[in-house]
Amino acid sequence: MSEHHHLEPLARRWSKYSSKFTPADRDAVLALPYERKTFGKDAYLVREGERATVCMMLLRGFAFRQKLMSDGDRQIISFHIPTEFVDLQNGLLGVADHNVQSLNHSEVAVIPRTALMELAEERPSIRLAMWVDTLIDASIFREWVVNVGRRDSRARIAHLLCELAVRLERIGAGRAGTFDFPLTQEQLADATGLTAVHTNRTLQSLRRDGLIQLTNGILRVLDWDGLREVGDFDELYLHHKV
Amino acid sequence: MTIGDSLALFLHDLQAHSPLSADDRQAILDLPMRLRRLDAGTYLVREGDVPTHCCILISGFAYRQKLTGQGSRQIIAVCIPGDAIDFQNMFLDISDHAVQTLTGTVVADIPRAALQALVLSRPAIGAAVMRSTLIEASIVREWVVNVGRRDARTRIAHILCEFAARLEARGLASEDSFELPMTQEQLADATSLTPVHVNRVLRGLEAEGLISRQRRNVRFADWRALQDVADFSRRYLHLPGEDELEVAAI
Repeated sequence: MSEHHHLEPLARRWSKYSSKFTPADRDAVLALPYERKTFGKDAYLVREGERATVCMMLLRGFAFRQKLMSDGDRQIISFHIPTEFVDLQNGLLGVADHNVQSLNHSEVAVIPRTALMELAEERPSIRLAMWVDTLIDASIFREWVVNVGRRDSRARIAHLLCELAVRLERIGAGRAGTFDFPLTQEQLADATGLTAVHTNRTLQSLRRDGLIQLTNGILRVLDWDGLREVGDFDELYLHHKV
Repeated sequence: MTIGDSLALFLHDLQAHSPLSADDRQAILDLPMRLRRLDAGTYLVREGDVPTHCCILISGFAYRQKLTGQGSRQIIAVCIPGDAIDFQNMFLDISDHAVQTLTGTVVADIPRAALQALVLSRPAIGAAVMRSTLIEASIVREWVVNVGRRDARTRIAHILCEFAARLEARGLASEDSFELPMTQEQLADATSLTPVHVNRVLRGLEAEGLISRQRRNVRFADWRALQDVADFSRRYLHLPGEDELEVAAI
């Protein structure tokens, strides 16, 4: 298999979860059937209430999960970056309990649900890997409850920036503290339970304090330690050492 | 109480979404486990712990929590009888939050390695337990929404509806009433409000005739109206039968 196989990053991540992950497991991941599909900004990848027939892994671009209130308010529940699944839980749960939207122009690998579930059933190491992926998702959701529930606006925004920066760095998408950052202020607001105006003011204060620079979709972290401190950020919950 | 009796709720809950063969059920009952009786306020897991055991809540209630650097507490979930307390730690090597008992409880401790071996060697059990952890994650997502985008009255009504619906699914609530073993301070930490605010909202819901309270007992005087106030839909609980009903209706 070539280095450019689209599922290669997935096989690589999953191989790190267990010492029992064999070359045959890797080949089985790379042999999964998939289709590449592109989505425009804000396009829906998954809609709440839909029965899942596929699971989707991001190849390019960002996506986010969200739920809508009956009055139309939106809460973003997580952001996703390349190599991550946006809906792996639907493989087992069957029905989507929230929406997933493309954040910018994105490309995903669409994998038939049955193929993925069969692989998990046949191969314990892959079952474990899928499980770990969803457990890490769940840990991030827990941290978000804390973030939205008990941190002030400055800490909330700083925490979210830290989280995304660490995750992007981990997939090799950032260099020297500089990241592609296509999130709008409205999306940041919907992810932190703030208003867009409040978000804007908070970003300005982080900038004034020399912690970050955010221009034209590029985030630069100027003072890592400072941003972490303001954001009350401890990356334990990302379980990167699994 | 035999192990079978102790695990009846846990097994019932698993099988509600993932039917298991007699053989698989027996394999779960054969897990090495030890029952422990604990007082209210006992830590079952602490953040940063490296787990050697996982446990199932046999009776009583517990809650998951995290502390911020400033020492504020956020409750992230309430565990009810039959819930696995920390099965996420089966495959994550370090606990990312703490779990504390809300009431006096009985828990069953299972060595982590035995549990890992069981879910990896038996695909049906693996899928069943994984589905439970996924439902747990779905509830956490809903809590992000609850504290993020709902006003105080809706938040409190929502947490009451969720609690009632979950207890009912386990056969632990009578028609329209259940015991809510949380103090107003704990309810405040679960909804990111102050205890004073929680008290005001509860009195308001009572004045509107939506709920009535007697000590720890909450009664839903008007269940349908409370669900409307709460903006409550059961979909995220993935209760048995609901997903199928929904798909059939499409």
